[in-house]
Amino acid sequence: MRKSIILAMALLSGVALASEQHGLVVNTPPEGSVTREAGLQAWERIHAVVSHPRCANCHTDERNLPMWSGSEYADAQPHGMNVHAGESRIGSETLACQACHVTSKRPNTVPHAAPHAGMDWRLAPVEFVWFGVDGPAICAQIRDPERNGGRDGAGLVEHITHDAEEKGFITWGFNPGAGREPAPGGMQAHLEDMIRWVAADMPCPED
Amino acid sequence: MKIIVNGETHDVAVAPDMPLLWVLRDELKLTGTKYGCGIAQCGACTVHIDGVAVRSCQMPIGDLEGEVTTIEGLGQPETLHAVQEAWIKHQVAQCGYCQSGQIMAAASFLDTNPDPNDEDIDRAMSANLCRCGTYPRIREAVKTAASSLRGA
Repeated sequence: MRKSIILAMALLSGVALASEQHGLVVNTPPEGSVTREAGLQAWERIHAVVSHPRCANCHTDERNLPMWSGSEYADAQPHGMNVHAGESRIGSETLACQACHVTSKRPNTVPHAAPHAGMDWRLAPVEFVWFGVDGPAICAQIRDPERNGGRDGAGLVEHITHDAEEKGFITWGFNPGAGREPAPGGMQAHLEDMIRWVAADMPCPED
Repeated sequence: MKIIVNGETHDVAVAPDMPLLWVLRDELKLTGTKYGCGIAQCGACTVHIDGVAVRSCQMPIGDLEGEVTTIEGLGQPETLHAVQEAWIKHQVAQCGYCQSGQIMAAASFLDTNPDPNDEDIDRAMSANLCRCGTYPRIREAVKTAASSLRGA
């Protein structure tokens, strides 16, 4: 919360602010210093990340099925083994995601093993659906506090730094290990793009 | 480091990234839990951590939080768990290699879903492979165990 307040103050005050958080450098630009065009360019890079299979495979709709898709698969398909995450989105109704995807901050080193992260493995909340959704719709969802977990711009930035602290799913997406294709860019670049997009007042392509 | 397995505390001197399965089999000599694939693709190594099914080949011992139950601790020959009784009644096991994992998965599943339908059972058990193809008997045994646990 404190970090959110500091970030919000920086965004409002027009003063650049830099800090180091969990291995990430948070450079907040002065208010009004990022153009809409630069914001849209940042959004395109954010979209390339969130639509990448490392991210989108677990941002699926109300059918509650994690997906297997991406360069490692010939065709997109639901997660094997008849896995169904249920309305709980963590599989607790039948087989918990954590049965195989354990919670561990250690690196993923074993090819073909169930990947793990420092957060309890799960599908994202159902309103955060990205798989099979076009870019403008994802953009509208991410900036809508009703559908993004109640986050304002500062909250979206803090979401990334918090993930770095926990070695959560964003961190894993950029460093999935064990032969998996990572999401494009990197954690620092993604953070900087999110800061730029937020500073440009979160523009979407169809605004 | 200290771990609790089947109600007993053990002090094991191993690397923190050693999988729980290795600790159970090689350090504690609890060989009822089987090594199948080592990558969470088969389910043979399923144990409970605080009652929840987990593939022990995937759990680094340094990240273990909670008490472990293995097939040796689920029931005893004179006081079998309802799932074990059902397994005998339906003569589920063929070669038997996957069966401790199957039983642990079923016991955990029935703890959270005491009255499952066929679809639930298939969702819960499909990640436990059986090369002998005992799946129809597994499904029937899970139903029998569910009924038994409900007191029906």
